[in-house]
Amino acid sequence: MKVSIVRRGGFAGLVTTTTVDSAALPAEQDAELRARVSRSGLLDLPARAGGPGPGADLYDYEVRVEDRGGARTVRIGERELTGPLRDLVGYVASLPGATKRTGPPGQ
Amino acid sequence: MTLLSQPPVCCIAPPDLLRAVAEGGSPEEREIALATLATAETARAQRVSVTGALRQLSLTIADAAPAPGKVRSIYDVEHGGYYDLPGRKVRAEGDADTADAAVNEAYANSGVTYDFFREVFQRDGIDGRGMEMVSSVHYDIDYDNAAWTGLQMIYGDGSGTVFRKGSLTRALDVVGHELTHGITQYTAQLVYNRQSGALNESFSDVFGSLVKQYSLRQTADQADWLIGDGMLGSSLQGVALRSMKAPGTAWTVPGGGKDNQPGHMDDYADLPDHEDNGGVHINSGIPNHAFYLAATAMGGHAWERAGRIWYETLTRRLHARATFAEAAEATVAEAGRLFGADGEERKHVRAAWQQVGVI
Repeated sequence: MKVSIVRRGGFAGLVTTTTVDSAALPAEQDAELRARVSRSGLLDLPARAGGPGPGADLYDYEVRVEDRGGARTVRIGERELTGPLRDLVGYVASLPGATKRTGPPGQ
Repeated sequence: MTLLSQPPVCCIAPPDLLRAVAEGGSPEEREIALATLATAETARAQRVSVTGALRQLSLTIADAAPAPGKVRSIYDVEHGGYYDLPGRKVRAEGDADTADAAVNEAYANSGVTYDFFREVFQRDGIDGRGMEMVSSVHYDIDYDNAAWTGLQMIYGDGSGTVFRKGSLTRALDVVGHELTHGITQYTAQLVYNRQSGALNESFSDVFGSLVKQYSLRQTADQADWLIGDGMLGSSLQGVALRSMKAPGTAWTVPGGGKDNQPGHMDDYADLPDHEDNGGVHINSGIPNHAFYLAATAMGGHAWERAGRIWYETLTRRLHARATFAEAAEATVAEAGRLFGADGEERKHVRAAWQQVGVI
């Protein structure tokens, strides 16, 4: 299973991509990642959850899960990123095996 | 402390009303009214003598007495997320410093921003009517961001990689940027998408920079015209987050990637909606550079002429989906109204937008 989280916008307007491949993780973390993806409700969300609300400089997230030839991508605003989905995003970023890349948008 | 708990010196109960109560009221009412009148008169007398003393120190009453609509509330959201806002209230208007630097910086910098808009443009806060300025600090964990939610400002601690830890509340231009988003919401209501969104971003950078210049009493040629100088964390190399003077030159990422803000319409980034709302933080470089060009061509303090033109345009002349070209025409028209159709200001504003390829 591959999980990638693209965070866009914010005051800086930077794009930060965090990617993890569960094949490269210890078995325990692989199982934990799968359990968290399952709990996140990601597969039940529409491709674009929520719309642009009021305010400025908040983040937008794109969460993509690839597994056994299938893939699911969901775009979600910072306001909608709550509960188990927010926990998943935090968990992926915390994994030592995750790679993180920051750059400008549009590249 | 709220406004209501301030002593009723002049505005809540007018002296005439108090005198009428003192003459016609019951003994208890008479006593209270006379005491209030005495307080008010003492305060007025003190105000007169204080004004004289301040004048000798080249200060005004605004330096010593809080403006009526300057009401700041600082909350600690204790690393919670959006649904934990605003968090626990830790400092109200008039309260003394706390032990938390982020709280004190958010308080001080929103106060400096309020004073700037009040003193320079006679604007009373975010909505022009003294709306409470609410800020929550310690938002999320290692959050590399500051934002305006539509109701309040939020500030992360910074992770150290994108932004230095503690830098988001410390930077006056960041606080000024976020508070200006609130002003835009109550005035032009620029839709946060594509060109109108990039204008929304640009007005926040313009006034964020002007607040900093005003606090340092810098002229246009003395200012650094940077947004977020000295804030960058370990994963970015450069001077700041954005440069209004030279868009696209503020930072690089080791191993590829750089600040890609355009400074001319030839380099406008036509990004899809899901890419930063159509590149609002990218294409803002174009109107940012136009402001820089106009302000430096005029010289002197940028808030006095260029800033005034941009402020009047934001608050009176733009519709919610304004394009760059419409904003350019509006600033040219406003420059003519404020400083004369044949004035140099109008010429400089027009030339600035021409140099960035908008008109």
